Amino acid sequence: MERLRELWRRLMFVLRRGKFQQDLQEELQFHLEMKARALHEAGMEPAEAGAAAQRHFGNTLLLREASREAWGWNTLETVVQDVRYGLRQLHRSRGFTLVAVLTLALGIGANTAVFTLVDAVLLKSLPVSDPHQLYSLGADDNCCEMTGLQGNFTIYSYPLYQELQERNPEFSQLAAFQAGAMPVAVRRSRGAEAAQPYRGEFVSGNYFQMFGLSAYAGRLLTPADDRTGAPPVVVMSYRVWQQRYGADPGVIGSTLVINSKVFTLAGVAPPGFFGDRLTDDPPDFWLPLGSEPVLNSLDSILRRPGEFWLYITGRLKPGVALAPLQARLTVELQQWLRTLPKLDEGDRKDISQQKIILTPGGAGVTELRDQYASGLRLLTVLAGLVLLIACANLANLLLAKGRASSVQMAARIALGATRARLMRQMLTESLLLAVVGGAAGVAVAFLAARMILVVAFRGTQYVPIAATPSLPVLAFAFALSILTGVLFGVAPAWISSRSQPAEALHGATRSTRDRSALPQKSLVVLQAALSLVLLAGAGLLTRSLLNLQSQQFGFQTRGRYIVRLDPSLAGYSLERLPGLYRELRTRLGAIPGVLSVSYSGYSPMRGDNWSSDISLYGQPRPDYSKVVAPSWMRVSPHYFDTIGTRLLRGRVINDQDTPSSTRVAVVNETFARRFFPKQDPIGKRFGIGESDHSRDFEIVGIVEDTKYQDARGPAYAMFFLPFLQKVPRADQSVQDAIDSSNYLQDIELLVSGYPPNLESQVRRALDEIDANLTVLSMTSFDEQVARNFNQDRLLARLAGLFGFLALALASIGLYGVTAYNVVRRTNEIGIRMALGADRQNVLGMVLRGALGQAGVGLALGIPIVVAGGRALSSQLFGVKGYDPEVLVAAVVTLGVCAAVAALVPARRAASIDPIQALRAE
Amino acid sequence: MARTEILPGTLYLLILKTLESGPRHGYGIAERIQELSDDVLTVEEGSLYPALQRMLIRGWVVGEWRQSENNRRARYYRLTASGRKQLGAELSEFQKVMAAITRVIQTA
Repeated sequence: MERLRELWRRLMFVLRRGKFQQDLQEELQFHLEMKARALHEAGMEPAEAGAAAQRHFGNTLLLREASREAWGWNTLETVVQDVRYGLRQLHRSRGFTLVAVLTLALGIGANTAVFTLVDAVLLKSLPVSDPHQLYSLGADDNCCEMTGLQGNFTIYSYPLYQELQERNPEFSQLAAFQAGAMPVAVRRSRGAEAAQPYRGEFVSGNYFQMFGLSAYAGRLLTPADDRTGAPPVVVMSYRVWQQRYGADPGVIGSTLVINSKVFTLAGVAPPGFFGDRLTDDPPDFWLPLGSEPVLNSLDSILRRPGEFWLYITGRLKPGVALAPLQARLTVELQQWLRTLPKLDEGDRKDISQQKIILTPGGAGVTELRDQYASGLRLLTVLAGLVLLIACANLANLLLAKGRASSVQMAARIALGATRARLMRQMLTESLLLAVVGGAAGVAVAFLAARMILVVAFRGTQYVPIAATPSLPVLAFAFALSILTGVLFGVAPAWISSRSQPAEALHGATRSTRDRSALPQKSLVVLQAALSLVLLAGAGLLTRSLLNLQSQQFGFQTRGRYIVRLDPSLAGYSLERLPGLYRELRTRLGAIPGVLSVSYSGYSPMRGDNWSSDISLYGQPRPDYSKVVAPSWMRVSPHYFDTIGTRLLRGRVINDQDTPSSTRVAVVNETFARRFFPKQDPIGKRFGIGESDHSRDFEIVGIVEDTKYQDARGPAYAMFFLPFLQKVPRADQSVQDAIDSSNYLQDIELLVSGYPPNLESQVRRALDEIDANLTVLSMTSFDEQVARNFNQDRLLARLAGLFGFLALALASIGLYGVTAYNVVRRTNEIGIRMALGADRQNVLGMVLRGALGQAGVGLALGIPIVVAGGRALSSQLFGVKGYDPEVLVAAVVTLGVCAAVAALVPARRAASIDPIQALRAE
Repeated sequence: MARTEILPGTLYLLILKTLESGPRHGYGIAERIQELSDDVLTVEEGSLYPALQRMLIRGWVVGEWRQSENNRRARYYRLTASGRKQLGAELSEFQKVMAAITRVIQTA
C-alpha cells in the first residue's frame, strides 16, 4: 500500500515539475537568508555574512540536482533532455541532417528490402495451421514425372501413396499432390465466353484437411471426392475468385468446363493460401486425384504403379518418434517395390538401396527457395556492405562536427558534465538520426522490394510474396537502425568526449597533430576497400550476365515468337490432330508478315524437357548409370529453320515425313558423339525403350547443338521425331505416353519486320479454327529466353546500383575529409607558403594525402575482391572470380573518382592567401 | 573548526526525532540538531535537503508552506503517522547497534 502511495507521489512530481523547482529554490533562498542573518547577528558585516553563507552552502546547483534525483526520474528526464537537444541540433544543421537521413534511408532501406524477401522466401512457413507438425516424405527435388528408382525417394505413384497411407496411422493425415503444376483451360459451362488459361494441380481428397484449412465459401475437397466414380469437383483459389470471377457467390456450386470436361465448383480456398509451395504462378484450381482419369483420358497415369509424379506430405500425430517411423517407411517402400511388375534385373538389385527420409514440411516444397537462396545470400552481403559504407561516411561527418563543437564540449566539461553524460548525449543524437533514417528506410524498402519482385519474377502472373514489410521485418529495420546508430555514433562520441577542455578552449587549431585524424583516415580507407569490392562484384556479375545472354545457344531469337497452345485442353483426340495441324500451318502462315510457321512438343528455354532411355541397333544398350538419357521431342516440318538451328549434315524433318513413311529421326551433335562415337550416325538406327525397339527410327540428319533447358551447362543430347509417326508397342501404357507426345505445346513463328497487332491476328486465326483452342501465352522468343536470366539480371542490376552508391558515398566521404583537413591546416599551409612552398607543392601535398588513403583502401580491397570472387564463382558464367579486366576497371574507376573528389579541396588549398591563412585562428 | 560528520544512516533518525516535537522548516531542523548536540553535529545543507526530499517521497513527512517567525514564507515539515512509526523503528535499530558496539569495545 505504501508503495502505491509512493508511486503516486512520484508521478505527481513528474506532472508538477515546474512548481517543484520553484518551491525548492524558494526554500533554499530562505535557508540562505536565515544563515546570513545568523552570521550577521554573530558580528559579521551583512555583505560578508551573505558571502560566507553562500560559500557554506556550496554548490546550489548540485544541491538542487541531488534533490531532484531523489524522485527517481533522473534517467528518464535526462534522456528526454538529450532527445530534445538532439532534435534541436539536427534542425539547426538541416543540410547535414538531410544528407545523413538520405544516406541512412538508402543503407537501411536496401537491407530491409533484402530481408523482406529473405523472410518471405527462406524463412516463412506456409500459411496453414501448425506447420511444424507437417513432414514430407523425401526432400522434394525431383520434379515432375518419372519412372525408375530414385535412391532417395521424393516423388511417388498413386498406388504407392495409397499403400503408405494405409499402413502408417502415425500420420493423422497423409496427403499426395502433383509435383508439377499443369495448365488448364477453364470456362463457365453457361455462356459463350472462351476458355481462359489457368494453373491447376491434382491433390488428394484430404489435402486441405491435412493443412487444417476451412473453405472461405462453399466447401473444400474431402476424401469422398477422391473415390472412383465420384462426381468431379474442383476448388478455386481465393485470388482467382476475387479477381477473375468478381467474388460472385453464384459461381460456387455451378459447373465449369475444364479442358472440355465438366466439373462442379465445390468452393473457394481461404485467402492467403497459395498451395503447398512458394512459387511464381501458384495453382488457381485444385482438382481431386480421383478426377485425373477424367481429365487425362488419353493417357491417365493414376493407376500406374511405376509412374512417379506425386509429392507426399503428412501431419504427424503429437509424440511420434521420427527415426522408427522413417525406418518403417523405408521397409514398406522396399517391400512394395518388389511387387512392381516391370522391374529389370539391375533395378531389382538396387531395391535395398531405396529409402524414404522424413523432412520437415512446414515450409512447403522448396523449389523456389533453393533457386533463389544463393542469390539472396549474395544480396544480403552486398546490402550489408553498402550499409557499412554509409555508416563510415556518417561517422566521419559526425567526427568533423564533433571537432567543430569541441569548444562547446570543453565548456560543458568545465561546468561539471561527466564524460559519460556527454557521450550519452552524442549517442542520443546519433540514435535519433538512425531512427529517422530507419523510418525513411522502411519506405525505401517497400519500394525497393516491389521493384526487386518485378525484376526477379518477370513474366509471371502472380507471385505470393508480399512487398509490404511484415512485423519481423519492421522489427529487423528497427534493430538495424539502433545498431547503425550505435555503430557510427560511438566512435565520434568517444573521441569527442576525450577532448581536453583547456586545450580546446585555448584553440587547439594551432597544433598539427589531430587525434581524430587517424579514425577519419581509417574510415576513408575502409570505404575505399568496400567500394572496390562492390564495384568489382558488380563488374563480375554484369559480365556474367552478358556472357549468358550473348552465348551461342544454337538458335536465333530475332523475329521469332512463341505461342503456347495445348490441343488436349480443347478436347482434341489423336485422330483430329492431323487436320488441326494442317489448318494451323495454313491459317497462321497466311498472317501478313509471317515467314514461317512450325510447332513442337516444347521450345528452347521454355523450361521443359522430356527424356527417355533408348536402345541402339547393333550396339550394347547404353549404361544409364554412367550416361545421361537423351532428351527428345516431336517437331513439325520447317521447325529448325523457324527457330534458327543449323543443319549440319543430312536433312531435317520435312513434309515427306508422314504417318505412313519411314520412321525417321534427326539428332544433334552431342547425341551423335555420345551414342555413335567416331561413326557416321546417318543411316544408323535406334529406338525408345528396350532393344526390341532398337530398329524403330533411322537417323536422317544432324543439327547443331542447342540449349533447351539449362543455359549454363552444355547442350543435352537430343533427338527429334516427326509428329504422328507411330511405332506399335506391346506395353499399352508406354504406347499411351508416347502417343501423347503428338500433342504440340508450342507454335513457333518467324516474322519479318514488326507486323502490327500480331498477337490479336494470331488469336483470331486460332479462334477461327476452333473457339475452344485456348492460347496459354504468347511471347517473343527473346523474352522467353530473357526470363531464364531473371535472377542473374536482378543481381547484376542491384550490384551495379549498390556499386554506384558505394562509389558516390566513398567519394563524398573522401571529399569531406580532405576538405576538412584543408580547413584545419589552413594555418600550416600559410606558414609553408610563407616559407617558400608554391601552389604546386601545396596541391601535391594535399593530393598525396588523400590519394594515399584511397590507395591503401584499394590495396586492402584487392585481396578481399579476389577472395570474394572465388566465393562468387559458382554464380558466374564465362568469367573467373579473379577476372583481371574487371579488377583493373574497378580500381581505375575508384582511382579516378578519388582523384576528382580530392582535387576540389586541393585546389582550394593551393589558392589560399598566405597572409589570410596566418591570420586565421 | 573541525566538523564531526553525521554517521551515515543516522540522518533520517536525527531529522525524524527533531520533528517529533513539532513542525520545523529546513533551517530550523539543522539549527536544532546543532543546538541539541552542543555543536558537535552539523548537518550539511547538501545532505539535508536531498534527505528531506526522500522522506517526502516515502511519506514520513509532509511539507506545508507557512509564514515563518520573521514573516517570510518557508516550507515546514511535519511528522506523519507513518513517520512516527519509522522513528520508532530507526530508534530501536540504532539502540541495538549501539549496544552491540559498546559490548565489543568493553570486552576488548
